Amino acid sequence: MNYAELAAALHHAGERLSKHAAKIEGESMGRAAQVLSSHLVKFEELLDAYIASRKSGELLLETLLRSPSAKRHLTIDLLRDGLRDVIGKRLKSSELRAAKREFIERVHEAGNQDEAVKFLKDAFAGAIHLEPGGKDKASLQREYVDLGRLSDDEFAQEIEKWSLGELRQLAETNGIRFTDKTNRQRLAGLIRRYAQRAVFNISAAG
Amino acid sequence: MSSRVLAFINFKGGVGKTATVVNIGATLAKLHEKKVLIVDIDPQSNSSVWLMRPDRWHEHVAGGRRSTFQIYDDALNNKNRFDFEEALVRGVVTWTGFTDLPRLHLLPAAVELLRIEDKIHELRPSAIHQLLDAALSAYFKEYDYVLLDCPPNLYSTTRGAIFSADSCVVPYVPDFLSLSGFQVLAEEILDMRQKFAPYLPGRRRPNIGALIVSHYRQSGNVYRLAINELELSIAQLQRSGLLSSHTTILEPYVRHCVRVAESTNEHLPVLLYAPGSIGAQDYCDLTERFLNHFENKR
Repeated sequence: MNYAELAAALHHAGERLSKHAAKIEGESMGRAAQVLSSHLVKFEELLDAYIASRKSGELLLETLLRSPSAKRHLTIDLLRDGLRDVIGKRLKSSELRAAKREFIERVHEAGNQDEAVKFLKDAFAGAIHLEPGGKDKASLQREYVDLGRLSDDEFAQEIEKWSLGELRQLAETNGIRFTDKTNRQRLAGLIRRYAQRAVFNISAAG
Repeated sequence: MSSRVLAFINFKGGVGKTATVVNIGATLAKLHEKKVLIVDIDPQSNSSVWLMRPDRWHEHVAGGRRSTFQIYDDALNNKNRFDFEEALVRGVVTWTGFTDLPRLHLLPAAVELLRIEDKIHELRPSAIHQLLDAALSAYFKEYDYVLLDCPPNLYSTTRGAIFSADSCVVPYVPDFLSLSGFQVLAEEILDMRQKFAPYLPGRRRPNIGALIVSHYRQSGNVYRLAINELELSIAQLQRSGLLSSHTTILEPYVRHCVRVAESTNEHLPVLLYAPGSIGAQDYCDLTERFLNHFENKR
């Protein structure tokens, strides 16, 4: 059932009740009416609060604060910055759960829900971890492919010109895992193997 | 409303097409308040049965009438039975029995699509690829995002989706089998761009806009190396003109998460089923980058 269907069912029941109201009697009907009435009061309270929070932007704010993004990126410091940014006030709570509640209440009091939503969305977007890219990465990827195209002798000659730090950077950028204990010879071997594989794979795919 | 129509394609199966469509669609609707339409044109009907309980789906699409099947059946039999409003499923029914995600709409598929795939080829080629667009483009304007969930092939229905789309999104599993297919996919889409050009005056011609990596595992070298090779391949295809310079791999990569698999059994997006899971978190971050990429807002 969806909410439109529930509305239609309530409407239909209301119409029938209205038509027969003056003739209804008996304890079972009275009890059922009492249960429905108390549930209806609670439902209307919830509905009113929902409509108001949606209209004010508070619903989205609460949704964001409970979202998977919040679970990953939300911190007390972020809420502290947010409250200062959005309403110019200091956050008093020192525990995340309480801070979330305080954040919602004080933003609500100030009526700045839209600004708070924007702050959180921007903050969550900014906190997403991205693999380092840019020109350095592109040039190291090109050098990696070039190394993969060299013969064994050419590779051995070329790799002599690279410092261990440069080899590590090249390996790291191109997805090769190594440890602090990986020595120069072992690292060069890994680069040789995977660079050749990359050349073979991308030319086979292309 | 200015809508973005995106075809999710890959002729390799099991790459996370449906998971990407369903979970990005749900996140756009819930956390970004976007109005989203998912159009399922895969005879396997995976996004339909992910978002609908099987009994409700069977009842809804009985005989194929209230599904995308009817669009193709009408064209083959010269009928006019497809009714968008009737076929549309609004929101997702949760365990309460009531709907959530009211901004997420679904145009479901039906298995009957399987039975007419062969017949669709008998239609005039220019008619085939315009079928979906002719039936649905007027409704697309009602939505911020239209996500077309395509079957794992490049036959008629997928070509029709690519014709309708502003851009294509390629879900991708980081391994060589995916890499080898990707080049062919890029070539095929370029070929379609050229064939479709006369029919798309003044409209953007489809291109591969983004790749999305699924089933990612952080341990070991395997996935990092495979993604590096994909990046190298993309750079090569961009240099040769097969891909646009805007084509990018969207991050973060979606990690393997059992809660995402479980959410199919609950017929809910992972955002509703397990909002605390890494799957939900990855899709939330990915959707942020997705918006950033397709709206260039930041």
